[in-house]
Amino acid sequence: MSEPIIRMEGIKKIYPDGTVALRGVTFEVLPGEIHGLLGENGAGKTTLMSILYGIVPLTSGRIFIKGRQVRVTSPNDAMRLGIGMVHQHFMLVPVFTALDNIILGAEPRKKGFLIDRKEAERRVMELMERVALKVDLDAPVETLPVGVRQRIEILKMLYREADILILDEPTAVLTPIEVEELFSFLRRIREEGKTVIFITHKLKEVKAITDRVTVLRKGLVVGVRRTRDVSMEELATMMIGRKLTGVEKSEEVSPREDYLRIKDLWVRNDRGGYAVKGVSFSVRSGEIFGIAGVEGNGQSELVEAICGLRPPEKGDVYIRSKRVIGLNPMELYALGLGHIPEDRHKWGIILEFSLKENAILGVHRSKRFVSRYGMLDEPRIREWTESIIKNFTVEAPGSDFPAKSLSGGNQQKLIVGRELSKEPSVVIASQPTRGLDVAATEYIRKILIRMRNKGKAVLLVSADLDEVLSLSDRVAVMYEGEFMGLVHPSEINRERIGLMMGGLRLEAIS
Amino acid sequence: MRTCDDLRNHLRPVVESSLSLLAGFLAGGIIIWAAGFNPILFYEALIAGAFGDIYSTLNTLSYSTPLILTALSFAIAARASLFNIGAEGQMYFGVLAAVSIGAFIALPSVMHQLCIITLAILLGGLWGAVAGWLRVSRGVNEVVSTIMMNFLALYLVNYLATYVFYDPLQAYKTKSILPSAELPLMVPGTDLSLAFLLSIATAMALYILLWRTPLGYEIRAVGLNPSAARYGGIDVKRTMITSMFLSGATAALAGAFEVMGRFYYTDTGLSIVRNMGFDGIAVSLVGRNHPIGIILSSIFFAMLKTGIQAVQRSTSVGGRTGVPLELGLVVQGIIIIFISIPEMLDLIRRLRGRREV
Repeated sequence: MSEPIIRMEGIKKIYPDGTVALRGVTFEVLPGEIHGLLGENGAGKTTLMSILYGIVPLTSGRIFIKGRQVRVTSPNDAMRLGIGMVHQHFMLVPVFTALDNIILGAEPRKKGFLIDRKEAERRVMELMERVALKVDLDAPVETLPVGVRQRIEILKMLYREADILILDEPTAVLTPIEVEELFSFLRRIREEGKTVIFITHKLKEVKAITDRVTVLRKGLVVGVRRTRDVSMEELATMMIGRKLTGVEKSEEVSPREDYLRIKDLWVRNDRGGYAVKGVSFSVRSGEIFGIAGVEGNGQSELVEAICGLRPPEKGDVYIRSKRVIGLNPMELYALGLGHIPEDRHKWGIILEFSLKENAILGVHRSKRFVSRYGMLDEPRIREWTESIIKNFTVEAPGSDFPAKSLSGGNQQKLIVGRELSKEPSVVIASQPTRGLDVAATEYIRKILIRMRNKGKAVLLVSADLDEVLSLSDRVAVMYEGEFMGLVHPSEINRERIGLMMGGLRLEAIS
Repeated sequence: MRTCDDLRNHLRPVVESSLSLLAGFLAGGIIIWAAGFNPILFYEALIAGAFGDIYSTLNTLSYSTPLILTALSFAIAARASLFNIGAEGQMYFGVLAAVSIGAFIALPSVMHQLCIITLAILLGGLWGAVAGWLRVSRGVNEVVSTIMMNFLALYLVNYLATYVFYDPLQAYKTKSILPSAELPLMVPGTDLSLAFLLSIATAMALYILLWRTPLGYEIRAVGLNPSAARYGGIDVKRTMITSMFLSGATAALAGAFEVMGRFYYTDTGLSIVRNMGFDGIAVSLVGRNHPIGIILSSIFFAMLKTGIQAVQRSTSVGGRTGVPLELGLVVQGIIIIFISIPEMLDLIRRLRGRREV
């Protein structure tokens, strides 16, 4: 076994607020391997890598690069040591071209201070040639899709001659085809002798691309394995500390009436263009209707329009045959809408509010919670909140505590609990499991299926293709504001869905 | 929502404020000491001047009355994350309501006071609501609009006082209000009128409004997270305008009560209430924009004011401390700056983070 290129020894990280992120982690990467760093959200993966990259200071521990002990206190230090990191949220300047972004901070100069653009272009072209990764260098980054932006980030790191590349959940924003391309690219640079650290919580990806894998759980390393010697089940058990029961989909519930009907809906995005271009569909009671697609193809605007948060340009929305265009969210909830929003901190919850206050958001003016003199009815609100906490297994210190004292998963459970306790007939769930750990994800999925089985109409929008395919009765694939096709998940394979996510119509590929 | 965790949540600001108060007193003491005086004697004289006997205590409470109201005015807008700098101008409308109805319309007592209060609430409230409306419909920052509207209010009320409601016998002031419009003194021989109790009642009413009613819930939701408020079906724009109305109305009460309970007229330059609106901002920050905190911090500000006046008096009769008034005011300023720091930091953080609506 060769000498590790990276050795992090006894790394501890305690944040100033007392959160212990890492409790003494030792982590080794061999030169020229693709090393998976697997763990649930909050396991400490990103913190560990941020320490290596110099963004987060460590509390104690030592770092060795190529056998030499080093101190990394900034990304510049890391870069000098040949370490490059591609973050989950890209760090690009939107109005700059791809070339400008790649050379930013390491521009070749002429006459001392002018940027030598020709030389820069020559070098970047040569680099793209060598690693077979192409982007349009003259296009402003803001006009490029996320998949391409990611390539620019990677090129930026390689341009700085990084020979250790850290990728933080790189597949979250990609279509299946783009994922395949990314993987073959990673294999290519491995041939070139680069080392890759691949952060993920997806078991399939670990199996597909890595040579070895380190599993983190709650700030500790629970195991280091050669990928080919370990099964997915084993990895899952290591990652979550118990066996996964999986989501069982119950027997067919025969769908009955259309609870939610959308007719030729057009919705603008914030920049004034059309994000949703004439979409029509209906969701029946007792079914989960899934919308798959790469994020940013109009799903958010569609959901916002249905839920009264964004006025549509034209078209109709009906809830149980009642036209609901122009109604505000509170009126929609009263008509039987439940909305689990995609960004819980933006929409779904007020962090400084107590659990009780959050539990009545949207129904705080209903007769149930307002007493005779126009006061909020404390005892009833408490009772309501406590029943949500109990029924939806929210782990909370008490209903008077602020929502920010809950973990992300429990915040989401609170939101889901609130929305489903309104006894809705239509449930809109947008990215309901994003950012949640495996256990909470499993729980939320079970709840959605239970809602379906109880005869509710569930609209599920998710960028997680596996989620959409495993839960939905029917799936529409959305691309640039339009449906590319409507399919039954049992009758279609992932590749076809992938093509549709990339903009091909169902008719064109069948 | 009053339980043990509430206590914990409220303890942090109390501890922070107490520490900064202590630091303020220390810093002020150092200055007194550096200027060659005895800080302990100075503070002793200050506290004795504010609370030394019944008479000075009641006067301190009386001074705190308008501050309670202007501070509440700032707080209720701040809860909706609006920075209302306009209490000053909104307050002038309260003065206007008091001298116009109070001096020129004869009504039976109680009815008379109620009419003044109603008009004050309407004028001040609408003046505030205009700034709120400009913000939500035209995107005009309320800080800018309320500062400008303060000048409009000053000159408008000034004009009316000088040319319409003036006293023909003493043209520097308006006519005095009729006895039926006065708020009676609670203790004869002091300045403490019923206005003090009414201010405390207003603080209680706003406390209940903010934490016990759906409207208050909506105001706080809008202030903390406007997107989530919208998701919850709250009309964010209307709520902002409403909170500016309440803010302006509360400020106007301060002006009306000063006329009804203390001066019974205003001079044409409005100097009887000048700067009370601005002082309310500091009082509210120190009181953490919370009605209970505001009552305490108003009394504290009033204490500094009466106390330092007393120190001054004690020097003039060859008193013990010898600290000149100017130095006393410097110390007052330093203490106020120190105790404003924690909430000021919070506020800056919130304003930076706030999303435009």
